[in-house]
Amino acid sequence: MRILTRLGQICQSLYREGERGRGGEGENFLPLSHSPTLPRVFQTIFRVLQAAALAALLYALAAPPPILVTLGSQQVVRTTNPKVGVHTRVTDEVEEWKIKKNFEMVREMGATWVVEYFPWEYIENDEGNFDWAHADLVVDHARRQGLTVIARLGFVPRWARPKDSVTSYLDEARYPAFAHFAAEFARHFAGRVQHIIIWNEPNLNFEWGYRGVDPAGYARMLQAVYARVKKVDPSVQILGGALAPTLAPPGTPDALNDLDYLQQMYDAGARDYFDALAIHAYGWNAPADEAPSPRRVNFRRTELLREIMIKNGDASKRALITEGGWNDHPRWTKAVHPAERITYTLRAYDLCQTWDWIDACALWAFRYPFPAQSYLDYFTFLTPEFDPKPIYWEVQKYAAR
Amino acid sequence: MVIVLVIGLIVFAFVAWFPKPPPKPDATWVHILETGAWRVGIDPSFPPFESDDAKGNLSGFDIALADEIARAWSSANATPIHVEYVYSGFDGLYDALKARQFDAIVSALPYDPKKTEDVYFSHAYFDGGPHLIVRADDATTKTYYDLQGKAIGVELGSTGDAFARRWQRRLKFDLRTFNTPADALRALRAGQVDAVFTDLVAFNDFSRAEGGVKQVGDALIHEFLVIAVRKDTPTLLAQINAVIDAMKSDGRMERLYAEWLVGRETAGR
Repeated sequence: MRILTRLGQICQSLYREGERGRGGEGENFLPLSHSPTLPRVFQTIFRVLQAAALAALLYALAAPPPILVTLGSQQVVRTTNPKVGVHTRVTDEVEEWKIKKNFEMVREMGATWVVEYFPWEYIENDEGNFDWAHADLVVDHARRQGLTVIARLGFVPRWARPKDSVTSYLDEARYPAFAHFAAEFARHFAGRVQHIIIWNEPNLNFEWGYRGVDPAGYARMLQAVYARVKKVDPSVQILGGALAPTLAPPGTPDALNDLDYLQQMYDAGARDYFDALAIHAYGWNAPADEAPSPRRVNFRRTELLREIMIKNGDASKRALITEGGWNDHPRWTKAVHPAERITYTLRAYDLCQTWDWIDACALWAFRYPFPAQSYLDYFTFLTPEFDPKPIYWEVQKYAAR
Repeated sequence: MVIVLVIGLIVFAFVAWFPKPPPKPDATWVHILETGAWRVGIDPSFPPFESDDAKGNLSGFDIALADEIARAWSSANATPIHVEYVYSGFDGLYDALKARQFDAIVSALPYDPKKTEDVYFSHAYFDGGPHLIVRADDATTKTYYDLQGKAIGVELGSTGDAFARRWQRRLKFDLRTFNTPADALRALRAGQVDAVFTDLVAFNDFSRAEGGVKQVGDALIHEFLVIAVRKDTPTLLAQINAVIDAMKSDGRMERLYAEWLVGRETAGR
């Protein structure tokens, strides 16, 4: 608009010049661009300016104005259970208003914590060049809504893995590169992000680049990252684990039982290289209160992981649930009825409140940016169109009671 | 010039109005006719639509429907055609169809507009969405608009619940949630709520077992069940649609509803 205004001013001044040259309006009026009183060079400039002004006007009329999204004023989460949280999925959300809307609705539901994924490849697509633009949007909008962000790091960039390997493949020789990225992440978000989860479900072969799960290898990854991050910001909490709850028997190529994996992490010396344990607490078909058992995947399996921590001298460490919950797909074998899902979810948040060693209870997943077109869609609290499901309203009611 | 114009017109008329040969039937349909086998993908864990009795015996509405379609094709083509059921997990049905492990999905499959790029869907054969249910003696309630300020019962977390919450602010529903549709319908019969939003399977179960309630109007939200086929099988799609349409018009579909969705012994979700 400033350009148009300036063009208008130039046109007005030239017109006035022309008027003066003609001695005012009269029957000998000629278009300004043809005025004999103006030098030819000015006439040419005037024509060019006229064309430019017209083009600018047409462009301004044709192009839709950008959607104005601002961070807005600082908000506060109002909740009776400050451990309530959700895992959001705005990593692949392109439009800023949707990122903001996600976090607004998380706050309005009464949740304090959000876990979000920050893929290494998205940020350090070229080695040594960091693009923080999208990550900044996510963190700043979440914080402006009064939320505490737990950042999950993973997704190996192309340059850091062999050709045709999967994005969860990280060779040990590349641990320093990942540690460098984690340290740069901590440096960039100093004072904004205080919790970083290192890797996701390393007890699954798929999440370990199909190399065969390796608790000792994961312990060495933690060691590499811990030292680098702490050097940059000693206050950042490094979260280890984030193990998939599984009953995989010993020798299964696809996975290692999470309880065994955690013990083997300790055996490999991981204790000194994480500040808190990230826990995935899925309920599958069981109610939230079902007693924990090594032979059951249920919400209170969390307590078994805690027992392993205590047994290994880590009683003083905190734990955070960074994934979990129930699914109400009508046909998935591990799903429950919608009413059960709501009841169990509210009870799970209650249980977390009574566990004084748990800081956060962030369940999977607040909303997907697009439908997964599978049972996964039945884990969410909102549809991709931001329509709240009944569970959203029930959690809101719970958090406001 | 005039001659050229006249010839052009004649050629145009010939191309436009000359009867075209019927389109060549797709290879899958030809294969079905040749082998007499229609391979149907199914996840048999969803009574009353499909279930396996653990001895390999399938039963349910979809089984009866697929068998009826095959029977109709057999008579129309004077060749015996039977259904071969191929089991698959529900989430894997589309991939298995694409991988040609079977020719169609008949498994209480909800219509999904996002999948129309990948598959053809048949005409709908059932609407699984929530309906308006009132007491049998209620002669005034015709639509949910008549329920302004009234008490509505729903199964907590169900599609009916979501629908009621969406309209609650405008129609001032007094929303009451229950753990099961049967609990909500029981409350309706007892006069504790004025209407219930639930699906027809739950309604039919309750109606048969306890009675005292009736369904009013069309679905509140449509959740159509359809059959899916690959996009390279338009003839098969047309053949399926022809039988579904005929079954709807000659009463066979109603008889299947009565057999599997009203008069059955066990309730499923």
